[in-house]
Amino acid sequence: MTIQQASFSPYDNNGGTCVAVAGADYCVIAADTRMSTGYNVLTRDYSKIRQLADKSVLASSGFQADVRALQKVLEARHLTYQHQHNKQMSCPAMAQLLSNTLYYKRFFPYYAFNVLAGLDQEGKGCVFTYDAVGSYERTGYSAQGSGSTLIMPFLDNQLKSPSPLLLPAQDAVTPLSESEAVDLVKTCFASATERDIYTGDKLEILVLNAQGIRREYMELRKD
Amino acid sequence: MDGPPKGGFSFDLCRRNEMLVKKGLKGPSFLKTGTTIVGLVFKDGVILGADTRATEGPIVADKNCEKIHYIAPNIYCCGAGTAADTEAVTDMVSSQLTLHRYHTRRESRVVTALTLLKSHLFSYQGYVSAALVLGGVDVTGPHLHTIYPHGSTDTLPFATMGSGSLAAMAVFESKYREGLTEEEGVKLVAEAIRSGIFNDLGSGSNVDICVLTKSGKKYLRNYEMPNPRTYVSEKGYSFTKKTEVLMTKITPLREKVEVIEGGDAMEE
Amino acid sequence: MDAAVDFSSPVSTGTTIIGVTYNGGVVLGADSRTSTGMYVANRASDKITQLTDNVYICRSGSAADTQIISDYVRYYLDQHTIQLGQPATVKVAANLVRLIAYNNKNMLQAGMIVGGWDKYEGGKIYGVPLGGTLIEQPFSIGGSGSTYLYGFFDKEWKEGMTQQEAEELVVKAVSLAIARDGASGGVVRTVTINSEGATRNFYPGDSLPLWHEELEPQNSLLDILASAPQPMDA
Repeated sequence: MTIQQASFSPYDNNGGTCVAVAGADYCVIAADTRMSTGYNVLTRDYSKIRQLADKSVLASSGFQADVRALQKVLEARHLTYQHQHNKQMSCPAMAQLLSNTLYYKRFFPYYAFNVLAGLDQEGKGCVFTYDAVGSYERTGYSAQGSGSTLIMPFLDNQLKSPSPLLLPAQDAVTPLSESEAVDLVKTCFASATERDIYTGDKLEILVLNAQGIRREYMELRKD
Repeated sequence: MDGPPKGGFSFDLCRRNEMLVKKGLKGPSFLKTGTTIVGLVFKDGVILGADTRATEGPIVADKNCEKIHYIAPNIYCCGAGTAADTEAVTDMVSSQLTLHRYHTRRESRVVTALTLLKSHLFSYQGYVSAALVLGGVDVTGPHLHTIYPHGSTDTLPFATMGSGSLAAMAVFESKYREGLTEEEGVKLVAEAIRSGIFNDLGSGSNVDICVLTKSGKKYLRNYEMPNPRTYVSEKGYSFTKKTEVLMTKITPLREKVEVIEGGDAMEE
Repeated sequence: MDAAVDFSSPVSTGTTIIGVTYNGGVVLGADSRTSTGMYVANRASDKITQLTDNVYICRSGSAADTQIISDYVRYYLDQHTIQLGQPATVKVAANLVRLIAYNNKNMLQAGMIVGGWDKYEGGKIYGVPLGGTLIEQPFSIGGSGSTYLYGFFDKEWKEGMTQQEAEELVVKAVSLAIARDGASGGVVRTVTINSEGATRNFYPGDSLPLWHEELEPQNSLLDILASAPQPMDA
């Protein structure tokens, strides 16, 4: 007789990939719109990207319920911030807030893999990359989610960034132009979709720069 | 048991592996063809269909593999499950049938292939994980069968297997009827496979089809290719940066040896 | 992979099978559903397998196991028939099934009912349940659906029924089990065996009687919607 016991599994993995690239005066953040579980597609058109403030945008993959809960917390905290300070939160401040929010649930984490991107106080592109419990780092580019293992080495090869240990600290932003960065991101996703079964359907790209925010879509493989 | 092994699989390391797994070792993963395979009987014969994606966990290992295997000139077989097993088991039966044909000088029958496949799978009690859709036309007419890894078989007018079988069966259950023409049959099989390709993440890429009739076979490799790459950068990307060579120094392994011509003749 | 369709789990015939004797022979009956977990792998399977001209077997349990047992028994009986120069008896067939089921009981998951007619003993039904016991019975029921039928048979089975009465009883019993047992379904298949030989019959799902407040079987959701009153009609 096999021993049976009730078990509770609070997590699911809904797949998906997020990528962000920071430039000198812009920032590109992108994610696919497929949501899946196991071998099933739940929807082909679900946005993983959320604009949290004027100049900070969050892309998250992992478990959709946790991602949604996390987004609501951050939105609520940002509303409070606006009432108290009468201004929008800056991207680096939002980055610290996200870290704190994740670490708050250190022993029952949000199953969410985040990339936060935007423009800092000087108008420079910034990308913050996280693990599930709030460890984070400011980088020039990052990939998170199911296709990250396929995309990250490609980005490393194309946009080799200076070591964060160098003194004096060097700028993390990539040398690409805005259109080159968008092209790179499109290539990343088209390639990841070829080999990762959880990435596909459609690509949503947000570009932040001095003019504001721009959104564009590109079709991906649907198999 | 003493004496040399007499063929078959070696299970020598099974107990060791069981212990290692219990202690937390992760075994190697296998190429599982998370698959959609189908077959149907039409007016003049049988049509088989398959997708072409092979996966290894969440990664696509092969974007255009062949899942419709040759069994005999008049018999083909779609395979789902562990790629190595479907490949090995169909090759084995194919070879046995070839010898049987030389021996009898008669065309192979589908039931013969069915019996060989099922008795092999049954004797390995489900450990050879091959789920098959077997189809063919012989002297007794068209035949379509499904074979499960444990060795059970079904005889059906239309069949689906693999992780995309539910998606494909939904198409068959709503649109299949008796006495389809070849054209209608191929269209329906392609639709069933496409249903698997798009709705099941384990299946993908292209549609392969094989039409078997009394007058011969048509293997339509990549009959449909509904999933082209969606974006190719105009400028393209290069990967020129490589590990820099800082220093080159060659150390000979030993002193050069001089060979003198015309030495003593070799001893007998 | 989806828990509902795990192809590595064995295919089992969650089943209703029945064998009944009547005054001139036997009637065997079965549903036609074969399932892997939640998924119906075959909705028109034939669980009444021929062993010889005059002996058939109803299979329940693991499809792979019962198929291989039937194959072996059929092979032995074919040889036996040739050596004997006359048809094998039902008893011989049932004993072979028992022998294989008993000797390999550790490997097998098989519950079977053997039924047929021979000139020495007439119509006979033998039950061969899980461990390989052999029981001669006036009627026998098996599979997951049989639990719903014990009371029914205790009341309705009678000594010396006519062929028609027996066949009607079997069809009624299988359709009752189909209505209650989720693992049974599809059509009802019967095989009637007597001195004249064996005849097969099948009763499609939509021809079966409806029990209690059971709903009419539908081919499609569209049929249900078409017959429903239109909410916007005046």
